[in-house]
Amino acid sequence: MKNPYEVLGVTENATDEEIKTAYRNMAKKYHPDNYTDSPLADVAEEKMKEINEAYDAICDMRRNGSKSSSYNGSYGSGSSYRQTSYPDVRQYIMNGRLDDAMELLNGVPEGNRNAEWYFLMGMVFSRKGWSDQAYSYFQRAYQMEPSNPEFQAAFNNMNARRTYNNPGYNTSNDMGCSMCDICTGLMCADCLCNCCGRGC
Amino acid sequence: MFGYIKVDKANLLGKEFEAYKGIYCSLCKQLGKDYSILARFILSYDCTFYAMLALDLAPDPPCYRQGRCRFDPLKKCNYAQSETEALPLAAALSVVSAYYKLMDNLHDSPWYKRIAYRLVQPFFARWRKKAAKKYAEIDASVKKMTENQWRAEDAPDCVLDRAAEPTAVMLSEMCALLTEYIPLRNGLEKDRTKRILSATGYFIGRWIYLVDAADDYEKDQKHHNFNPFLLPSSQTDDLPAYIEASLNHALSEALLSYSLSEAGRYDSIIQNVLRISCVNIQNNIISQFHPNTEDSER
Repeated sequence: MKNPYEVLGVTENATDEEIKTAYRNMAKKYHPDNYTDSPLADVAEEKMKEINEAYDAICDMRRNGSKSSSYNGSYGSGSSYRQTSYPDVRQYIMNGRLDDAMELLNGVPEGNRNAEWYFLMGMVFSRKGWSDQAYSYFQRAYQMEPSNPEFQAAFNNMNARRTYNNPGYNTSNDMGCSMCDICTGLMCADCLCNCCGRGC
Repeated sequence: MFGYIKVDKANLLGKEFEAYKGIYCSLCKQLGKDYSILARFILSYDCTFYAMLALDLAPDPPCYRQGRCRFDPLKKCNYAQSETEALPLAAALSVVSAYYKLMDNLHDSPWYKRIAYRLVQPFFARWRKKAAKKYAEIDASVKKMTENQWRAEDAPDCVLDRAAEPTAVMLSEMCALLTEYIPLRNGLEKDRTKRILSATGYFIGRWIYLVDAADDYEKDQKHHNFNPFLLPSSQTDDLPAYIEASLNHALSEALLSYSLSEAGRYDSIIQNVLRISCVNIQNNIISQFHPNTEDSER
């Protein structure tokens, strides 16, 4: 395992407050919410786990073996399993088998295509890098089922990147992280887990 | 390559600009050394950026040495010298892309322009052959891009994503190739770095293709040339907004992908290119679609 201080980019002499700030900044920057529909979704997830583990390890070391931070165990856990009509497609997307996912989706008769079908088509196109197609499928999924948080998050995320209001443009300047940010992050981690089709 | 991937000098520190200029001058010198003095004329900002990405991965920083510019002996240049293959790779990409760009021009241009292209073709072909001998992957990738581009443009059901894909895939492959030739500095895992570079390259390539298409929109419309924003699937009530959204998305994805890598020695310059320069370039191009209004500051 990497040195946890190096992972968070702080020295071993850093104060608890400095460590917390570094952790929050990195958690915000690398949160999988920013990468749900990216070809690097799994890399971002891995990176986030690394950051969480590093923060927990430092907290453990500093508390002499007592329970670590409040964030411990939060990421990627606690979500309920959401019903899906396309478990195989979600599995293929999670494993990066985009052509197989597309083939399965194209095999669904037109009359049976629900909002989730459009969402998953959007996800396949997005992970391929075909953002223009992805946008129209996400938009359709959202229009068909606006109350679904998964479709809403995907559509909003895409819209944010199509404007300047996205994390890519402001990560270095915005160093704050509120409880609200963390809650949003957790909700999005939940969405990611559900997108991958597994109850975690 | 089109020269859109360049730095915004006003927002760089002096030492950062010197480092960038050193790479630019060194690539020029490398083109002269590996190919011919005439090959120096195809030096581009895009390939300088590629060389910088490569040098950013290497364990040791390049050593800067002072020298004289071949074209202006009164001018002193700081040349970046590296033990790695960063500069030869960038030089090879320069000549190979120039050759296939020439072939593309021969394919698309009217007869009188083709005469001029035919005159320079033997030089470009010789350089390309030499580069392909050393880096067969570069030649194969750029060749595939050109062929796929022609195929995409001829397809009756072509959409914007398909049209942008060949350039995006080529740059993705070129960026991923760096991990095969450049020894990686501490903290960089090969597989992860390769995937990050591949995704970053894909979206930079997509942005380059789209920004060039936006730049050429009027000309292509006038001469009935192919342009992804003229496709039936791209028709919208607000074309500038559609172009801006497409460019923003590509740039944003490039930046998000790049952010997953461990920051290296040229991180601030790379950030300058992606966060400031590219945004300014696209804003300038989009402002041409509103000739009567002043370019509004974001």
